[in-house]
Amino acid sequence: MQKLDYVVRRLAMAVLVLISVSIITFFVARVIPSDPAAAWVGVHPTPEQIAKARELLGLDRPLYEQYLRYMGDVLQGDLGTSVRTHQSITTDLRTFLPATLELVLAAMLIAVVIGLPLGVLSGAKKGSLLDHSTRLVSVAGVSMPTFWLGLIFQLIFFSWLGLLPLGGRTSTEIALFHSIKQVTGFHLIDSAIAGNWIAFKDALLHLILPAVTLATFAIGLTIRMTRSTMIEVLNEKFILAARVAGISERTVLFVLTLKNAIVPTLMLLGLTFVYSLTGAIPVEVIFSWPGLGTYVTDAVLSLDFPVIVSVTLVVTVFYVFINLFLDLTQAIIDPRISLE
Amino acid sequence: MKRTHVWSYLAVSLVVMGLIAAQCAAPAQPAVTEPPAAEEKAPETTEAAAPSEATEEEVGTPNVFIYAHTTGFPDLDPAKSYSNDSVIVSNCYEALTFYNPPGSDEVLSPGLATSWESNDDATEWVFNLREGVTFHDGEPFNAEAVKYSVEKTKELGVGAAYIWDSVEEIEVIDDYSVKFKLSYPTPLDLASSSGYAAWIYSPKAYEEHDSDWFNAGNCAGTGPYSIENYERGSRVVMTRNEDYWGGWSEDQFDKAVFEIVEDPVVRQQMIEAGTADFTYEVPPDNLPALDARDDVVVYTNPSYQNLLGLLNSQKPPLDNPLVREALSYTFPYEQFIAGVMGERATQAYGPVPAGMWGHSKDLFQYSYDLEKAKELLAEAGYPDGGFDLLYTYATGDLDEQQAGELWKAELAKLGINLEVQGMSWEAQWDLAKSDPQNAQDIFVMYWWPDYISPYTFLYSMFHSEDDILFNLGYYSNPEYDELIDTANEVSGSDREKAAEMFIEAQEMLVDDAASLFFYDVANTHLARSDIKGFADNPAYPHVVFIYQLSQE
Repeated sequence: MQKLDYVVRRLAMAVLVLISVSIITFFVARVIPSDPAAAWVGVHPTPEQIAKARELLGLDRPLYEQYLRYMGDVLQGDLGTSVRTHQSITTDLRTFLPATLELVLAAMLIAVVIGLPLGVLSGAKKGSLLDHSTRLVSVAGVSMPTFWLGLIFQLIFFSWLGLLPLGGRTSTEIALFHSIKQVTGFHLIDSAIAGNWIAFKDALLHLILPAVTLATFAIGLTIRMTRSTMIEVLNEKFILAARVAGISERTVLFVLTLKNAIVPTLMLLGLTFVYSLTGAIPVEVIFSWPGLGTYVTDAVLSLDFPVIVSVTLVVTVFYVFINLFLDLTQAIIDPRISLE
Repeated sequence: MKRTHVWSYLAVSLVVMGLIAAQCAAPAQPAVTEPPAAEEKAPETTEAAAPSEATEEEVGTPNVFIYAHTTGFPDLDPAKSYSNDSVIVSNCYEALTFYNPPGSDEVLSPGLATSWESNDDATEWVFNLREGVTFHDGEPFNAEAVKYSVEKTKELGVGAAYIWDSVEEIEVIDDYSVKFKLSYPTPLDLASSSGYAAWIYSPKAYEEHDSDWFNAGNCAGTGPYSIENYERGSRVVMTRNEDYWGGWSEDQFDKAVFEIVEDPVVRQQMIEAGTADFTYEVPPDNLPALDARDDVVVYTNPSYQNLLGLLNSQKPPLDNPLVREALSYTFPYEQFIAGVMGERATQAYGPVPAGMWGHSKDLFQYSYDLEKAKELLAEAGYPDGGFDLLYTYATGDLDEQQAGELWKAELAKLGINLEVQGMSWEAQWDLAKSDPQNAQDIFVMYWWPDYISPYTFLYSMFHSEDDILFNLGYYSNPEYDELIDTANEVSGSDREKAAEMFIEAQEMLVDDAASLFFYDVANTHLARSDIKGFADNPAYPHVVFIYQLSQE
């Protein structure tokens, strides 16, 4: 009951947050000196064209009215129309959001699978060779710029070894002969559903380098955070008690300690995930990954304000819900944490 | 414990050294040019990758052309396309006429119209249409379709729709001839060849579908190719329209793939490896090395785009023609082009780019001459300079920025302070459209034509305007206005005479120093050497007409 109350309260808060974000972004976007009507028409507009577009886009109405109209559309699932491409932003996002989600989720998975065990072992064997090398990996991971790392990976795995593709989500042959039917927008899922294993393998190979590149930062972060909280928890008396009681070291490390140490790491990963939705731009550019980052960059450069506003709103939704999810998980993992 | 530390640091150092070595090796390593993976990835050489093995048996090896393109395709709606999307649209759709590449005997060739004529003052045009042509959706191409497309594009009013502004009425004479009645004289044959807003599309398809349908990867034109598969943000796969009226020969391409590759280095790797047959905009420093290769051909040609610095003729001190003239002598044209632009530019002769009809190499070209500038300034009453000028350019354009900074140094020698100010295009434009007395002194911008006529350059940037739109130096000269308006009217019927008048008008602009004419932009395209039939056509920037190509 208490949990339900909490969720309801948080959701109410979320609505407030979303409304504030939408108001701020909508009005700020409109304060920037730019003329969406001119953008709609194109590079060499005539005054008549601009006037016509202004009317069509409702830009001749008062600003608050435009905002209300926009929010009304949003509630019906219509995120507006890009003034640069004249296309529905909802349709655009259906293409670009899954591409980014696929990449970011893969990167997060890699970060957890590699970062967490390394962090645990590093914390457990503080001062050992393993610890030092792991710490090096983590420092390198957080400090290496992704654009540089991406290029190095391309050099090694494409140019030298010829193992992995240079970029894109699939090879040209896949588009020509084994095209993936879009259902969810996640290439791995769509190709698997269709039993199109050739495309699946190809999509997987294309995912590896960008996902690893993007994961490096998260791996470094995970290791550092897990290591330090592990060290802290390992010094607690209940661990000593468990060891004295003869509980196996593996259980001590990966069950008792980790359970107590994992919360901050999870929080961090959650935030990294949301950040990566739009923060993966360098990786997306280097690997020609057609995701949200590229889409937003184009929009920002051309002051395509409906896109900027709508993407901000969508990312905020992710942010709010992931935070809520993390808070709930946290309470489940660690009973000492109260939802109050 | 201590020993462990030593070992740890040793390990650390090794890894770091390894990383550094990898980084150092990167630029020097020529292996990039011969990636082993490359061969596997070209669909033509279908050996190594598992997918290809399967495909060879299934479909044989189709002849595929791959274009590594720099950006995505904003809008594939034929009525609205006004950007890089023309690369795709130009292969899906056709217009009534076609503008020939420079050096051709005729300016225009027939497109969907086989012949055309106008009355003496170019206010009525009759186009005779090609028979036996069908749209991709099976609908017949005829005069009704022409009428519909032009009226629709005009009604939507997006992009270059204004090329049809003078069209008052379109009359269907019979199935295969159509008459345009204009409200003022316009060279409609030229307008019809535009790479934007001039496409003829299937009325049925356009009525049934919206923009999103076209942008989901559907074509409803008469062109030689149609879209088979469009992965937004990744690639477009085009396939032969077997019913194309021009017919097919065996060595033409079955399919074309437009891969969106934003990174210039990656595009270079692709063209080197043969995973792309065609691309443009690779790092300029690498062009000589690419040019030296046997398997890559570098095409460098003038485009129809130029960079100008419009001088504020309403505000002191530039309202004085002598000061404008002086300023025209202070820009280090040669040094800038040689040092910064390299092969990407040539110094401009007036406002009409080289290679276009109406361009003249006999126009006076200002050169860098500070002494001369000093004399002119003294004559104008500014012997020691002593004034400030504001130079605005679009933020992010490094060429415009560097031109400004170089110029600033030169002007400083004459006691003139040039403030080089980057602004968003919108902000820059808004400032210029406000009161000229408070606006910038020098407005730097590119211009390029919608359809190929000197008028678009001479009218947009220099014709008197009541409400400022693109005449951002506020030049106003009734004699000039009349001359170009007449030339435009004549250009429908007598192009040679029109060209002479346009050149005369340009002489006025050069004499009045209405603008700095920095440079004409050159375009560089790269193709694999086994690709035959590519003719760079600046009227359709970066467009490759796949139908004209073949592979050796």
